Amino acid sequence: MRFSAVLALIFLVLSVLIPSLAEAHGERAQQPALRMRTVEWFDVSVSTKQLQVNDILVVKGSFVPSNYWPEHVHSIEGASYLNIGVPGPTFVRLDSRINGTPGIRSTAFHKGELYNFEITLKARKPGKYHIHPLINVESAGPVIGPGIWVEVTGSEAQFTNTAKTLLGQTVDMEHYNFGHTVAWSALWMLIAAAWIVYWLFSRRPLIVPRFKRVSELGQDADAILTPTDRRLGLLFLIITLSVTMGGYLYANDRWPITTPLQTGKVHTPPAVQAPMPLEVTMGEARYRIPGRSFRIELTVSNKSDRPLSIGEFSAGNLRFINSKVLDIKPTDEDDLVAPDALRVEGSPIPAGETRKLVIYADDAMWETQRMTTMIASPDAVIAGMLFFYDDQGKRYYAEIGGPMIPVFG
Amino acid sequence: MTAAVPNDTAVTTTAEQRRSYLQFDMLIIPLVVLLFMGIFSFHFALLVGDWDYWIDWRDRRWWPLVTPLAITVLPAVFGYLLWDKLRLPLGGTLTIFCLSLAAWISRYLNFHLLANFPMDMVFPSSYVGLGLLLDCMLLLTRSWFFTGLIGAFLVGLLIYPMNWPILAQYHVPVEMDGILMTVADVFGFEYVRTSIPEYLRIIEQSTLRTFGEAVTPLTAVFAGFINIINYWFWIWIGSLGVKAIWIRKIV
Ligand SMILES: [Cu+2]
Repeated sequence: MRFSAVLALIFLVLSVLIPSLAEAHGERAQQPALRMRTVEWFDVSVSTKQLQVNDILVVKGSFVPSNYWPEHVHSIEGASYLNIGVPGPTFVRLDSRINGTPGIRSTAFHKGELYNFEITLKARKPGKYHIHPLINVESAGPVIGPGIWVEVTGSEAQFTNTAKTLLGQTVDMEHYNFGHTVAWSALWMLIAAAWIVYWLFSRRPLIVPRFKRVSELGQDADAILTPTDRRLGLLFLIITLSVTMGGYLYANDRWPITTPLQTGKVHTPPAVQAPMPLEVTMGEARYRIPGRSFRIELTVSNKSDRPLSIGEFSAGNLRFINSKVLDIKPTDEDDLVAPDALRVEGSPIPAGETRKLVIYADDAMWETQRMTTMIASPDAVIAGMLFFYDDQGKRYYAEIGGPMIPVFG
Repeated sequence: MTAAVPNDTAVTTTAEQRRSYLQFDMLIIPLVVLLFMGIFSFHFALLVGDWDYWIDWRDRRWWPLVTPLAITVLPAVFGYLLWDKLRLPLGGTLTIFCLSLAAWISRYLNFHLLANFPMDMVFPSSYVGLGLLLDCMLLLTRSWFFTGLIGAFLVGLLIYPMNWPILAQYHVPVEMDGILMTVADVFGFEYVRTSIPEYLRIIEQSTLRTFGEAVTPLTAVFAGFINIINYWFWIWIGSLGVKAIWIRKIV
């Protein structure tokens, strides 16, 4: 009985200590409206899908913060941070660049602007990981990009990671002076343990007799304290103050040059976008629930001197491909690419013309990726990115967005 | 030495009584230790949390202000009980010792083994000396007033220097991509925490920055003064707690 009670208490203690290291893998959990109207990700790729511990993995891609960012969600134009969705430090991040600017500090991204990112990771722990770029937006949470499976093999024990200080020392990031840290912590724990042992175990039995004696003495309870008690009090006070002072002086002597922790927010200039010689407005958008089919009316003005076709419609990381224009296959079983799911009526658009088009994005992905819950949204607005191609394969993109009407029958 | 044996209990001899008292000690002391580990860990996770979990959060402005205020609560409340009923100057040392023990276990199991962070990024700070300060001061002055005035002040004042031997090495400057960082900042950047983006770190954000060089001592003195009031307040709460228990026992 007593043993199980102690076990239960230990369990309670441990469960209380578990940190909140929420994983970023809830790609399907987020509201569809949030997924479609926050960040348009594209061209996300990894440098390799098979690597060893200590190998480098580069995650590259582009994103455009949506012009249809919901009013009720804290804006990405406040404080935001490009992050990488890996389960904890299974990789270490050696470098992160957004349009060439280091992504070490927090920044802000602006709606409708283009950002090209490149994150350099080093594999630390073997395993199979679904890697996502993601953007943390202050007070709003993470906006998750497309995921790619990557497999790391090798041995975790082989992992090394070092940094070089400005004073020329090399820091082993995995075990940085850890013996020193443990020794110092242990010294304090030993001093404290001596104090505790003296008071709890030098007079036995302790609790009941002492409680009775203190109650009897009442106002004069201090009389229970012995001269040895007081002398030890003074001794431990002196030890505590000396170790504190001595440690401080020692540390200042051993590490004379230190700087405060660094933080701040940097400005990340948007990439210069190539001129987009087209104009797109979205007309009626109807989602037919039984057919898992999205029908969107568009008006497109082609201001280029070449015919344009729609090759892809991407919404909330789901990619609907027009197989007549593009040949794109999913890279793995969880790559959200529907290679033949986009039907376009009225394409291509001849150079210089304005036309009305209808696109149909039909795929079970709407259902399997839980996008259909968008009909439960209090703010039924959708957004997505259209990718146009001219007859020479040159790509243009335009974001569309607007109200969505569900069709139930 | 021992108290007079009451006639109306089952315990008849002094030896038997002594044995039952010893058993009582052996049962209560481990339970109290576990209780302190649990309560204090919960309390500390709630009030200090990330500031103590991560090496790149232990700055010179918020960590040495938030931590002493949070760490003084239980030593004051339980310190009152232990002193008032048992005349044991243990409230500070024992509670913080239990907190540190639980913290080391948790960092090793949860942060290191389970979540893969290297121990040199997530080890707990050294706080147990702060408990010794409170307990020794109480024993020497035998006064809540002076223990608060001197002891609690020292807790706020000395938390930073007490940890400097293990923190200083993490404040050595590093250059990364043309940006000045500390070793601690490099840990924060390289060892990915998906749910803790850079902007969440609450460090060094204050108008007191104008004091420039004097940030650390200024924070320390400020924390010390606030902690005096903080200690007295929690001692008072402790005294109310003790009274409440006694009243309930009588009624
Ligand atoms: Cu995933």
